[in-house]
Amino acid sequence: MPAIPPISGFSPVQPVTASPSVAAGDPASGAKFGNALTQGVDALQQTQATADNLATKAATGSLQDVTAYMIASNEAAIATQLTTAVRDKAVAAFNSIMNMQM
Amino acid sequence: MAGLFDTLGISGTGLTVHRKWMDAIADNLSNVNDTVPGDQPAFAERYVQAAAAPGGGVQVVGVRYGSSAGIESYDPQNPLADANGYVRHADVDVTGQMTQMIMAQRGYEANLSVLSRATEAYQQALQLGNK
Repeated sequence: MPAIPPISGFSPVQPVTASPSVAAGDPASGAKFGNALTQGVDALQQTQATADNLATKAATGSLQDVTAYMIASNEAAIATQLTTAVRDKAVAAFNSIMNMQM
Repeated sequence: MAGLFDTLGISGTGLTVHRKWMDAIADNLSNVNDTVPGDQPAFAERYVQAAAAPGGGVQVVGVRYGSSAGIESYDPQNPLADANGYVRHADVDVTGQMTQMIMAQRGYEANLSVLSRATEAYQQALQLGNK
């Protein structure tokens, strides 16, 4: 019976080190999203203020153009939907991370 | 007017221009039976002049007036008659005004439907990724 040849060709196992590409989270990136969200809410507030202003004009009879108010209120409604959609997506992403099985 | 909802604003300018056009038509038709003394100019038809707005959309750049010659007629019994017994009636082309009214109404409707389609499209875009 021939002798079993020794097993060879293995390289030593590399010690586990933190990958440079997944270094600790950049604290600035969280602030950037927060800023973007704040700006979005500010823009929404301005759109709604415009619509409110035109609604007051419509009520007091000083509105020059009916469509101006309708367009402003339409725009405010869509902007609100957009902002809430962004908020919902952000919350959903946060919940996905929090519920991740470790 | 660069922004998130440009279509709404641009269609809004179209609506405004067509509404002003209808205002001019209303003005012309309401003055259709005006009479003035023969030595004064008669009512002149109003026409709005529309042109592309610099930032997108359309705008009214001015109001043009038709002829104020009117229709002169001899009517010495009329209290408005001048020294020679003439009065001047407004020469408004009612058929032309009615045709323009249909054009203005159709243009208004077209802009309204762009507006409602754009609203629908924006709302559908917000549903993107939702189940």
